[in-house]
Amino acid sequence: MKNFWRILAGIAILILLWQLAALGLNRSILIPAPSETLLILFHNFTTPDMLLAAGQTLWKVLLALALAILLGLPLGLLLGLSDAAYNLLRPLVMVVQAVPVISWLSLVIFTWGIGWRGPVFISFLSLFPVAVLTTVAGVHDLDKDLLEMAKLYQVPWKKVVREIHLGSLLPFIAAILDVSIGQAWKVTLVSEYLCGGDGLGEAILTARMNVDIPSVWALTLGAVLLGLLSEALIKFVLRRFRHAWKHS
Amino acid sequence: METLLKTTNLCKSFDELEVLRDINLAIAPGERVALLGPSGAGKTTLLKILAGLETPTSGTVENHAQRNAFVFQEPRLIPWRSVKNNLLFVNPAGDYKEALRSVEMADFADYPPADLSGGMRQRVNLARALITQPDLLILDEAFHSLDLGIKMRLMESLNQHWQENPFGLLCVTHDPKEALYLADRIVLLSARPASILAEIEGRPDQQWEITSPDFLTRESELIQLLSGKTQLD
Repeated sequence: MKNFWRILAGIAILILLWQLAALGLNRSILIPAPSETLLILFHNFTTPDMLLAAGQTLWKVLLALALAILLGLPLGLLLGLSDAAYNLLRPLVMVVQAVPVISWLSLVIFTWGIGWRGPVFISFLSLFPVAVLTTVAGVHDLDKDLLEMAKLYQVPWKKVVREIHLGSLLPFIAAILDVSIGQAWKVTLVSEYLCGGDGLGEAILTARMNVDIPSVWALTLGAVLLGLLSEALIKFVLRRFRHAWKHS
Repeated sequence: METLLKTTNLCKSFDELEVLRDINLAIAPGERVALLGPSGAGKTTLLKILAGLETPTSGTVENHAQRNAFVFQEPRLIPWRSVKNNLLFVNPAGDYKEALRSVEMADFADYPPADLSGGMRQRVNLARALITQPDLLILDEAFHSLDLGIKMRLMESLNQHWQENPFGLLCVTHDPKEALYLADRIVLLSARPASILAEIEGRPDQQWEITSPDFLTRESELIQLLSGKTQLD
């Protein structure tokens, strides 16, 4: 409860500083006042158009995240278990990780034009190396002594995978989701802004082109809130899953 | 003689380091053997080879045991599973309550290993071996982290288990008391590279009290033998 009030106080201080900066500058084209922004935010997110845009961004985020996990996890397992595969494919993963989002842009636009595929692909590429390398770290973290014990007691391999491998990897999978969800929002918004046909990123672009800076702020705030909400939701689901698994 | 476990001219080297030299060892079903030797002699390596976790450089191992159980030096419990589930992991059909009772841990079935002391974890390690009802139980310095009181009670408990249902026991130790109390036969190992120096008689068939004059006499004889023939650290 104490923490809750502290967080609330932190948010209040943030809004106060924002208000002071807006008052001091007195130019809403640079920093609109929080009251103005919140009003627009409330107005925007009660219109069907904005809700649709938020939904369009959300499904891209979820799709990119799902792809990164579904492809990154098996590849991470392979790279973790086989030194040969690790040495062979690590440069590729490192390059994908190092290439800036902007560099994929021309490739994406020439391949698919403006549309949903670009943001999903770019988001996926930014999440994929994290998923792979974190899974590799998880596999390397496996306690060899536990595997030796299981071998000695002739425990069936399916049970060993479920109890020892999965148990050891779960915290790493949780870490991937934890780190990725925030990243997925940011990258998806930027790519929607640059090459997406719809979504909140595209809405921010339109607001900017209309020099409607308070709307840019309101949309950004909306995206931040949605990002935090989805992060909290994923954490909640993960906690429940780990609890259920622990008592299975 | 029917054998449960037999090694023939077993040798093991790690690169230049020779660890085991010509180990010839045989254990009959239901026989209890102690390997007594100085720390760092290569006893754990020998056990790992016997359990099939290491391969020998030369020589052979025949292990006819259907169910091997191994009490490692360190507990090796699954950290995210309760004590009970750690036991059921190796034998889902086993009587975990009975196994925990015999190591005086019956009240801790639902505890995670992290909430137990080192000695308690080691007792769970022993219970996990007992729940499999092994034909061959291998103990690698299993009692060395325990205080004397619990150590004595656990050795008694192990002895009782054996009386009810004799299994092959191979215990590695550097403690003469442990060897004398647990084993019918004691195999003395030299310092590295470990080779067999001598085989001597262990516990007699009758009641064997650790505080009896007979036991103490045998223990001091054994200590003298060890200090003369091998270097104890």
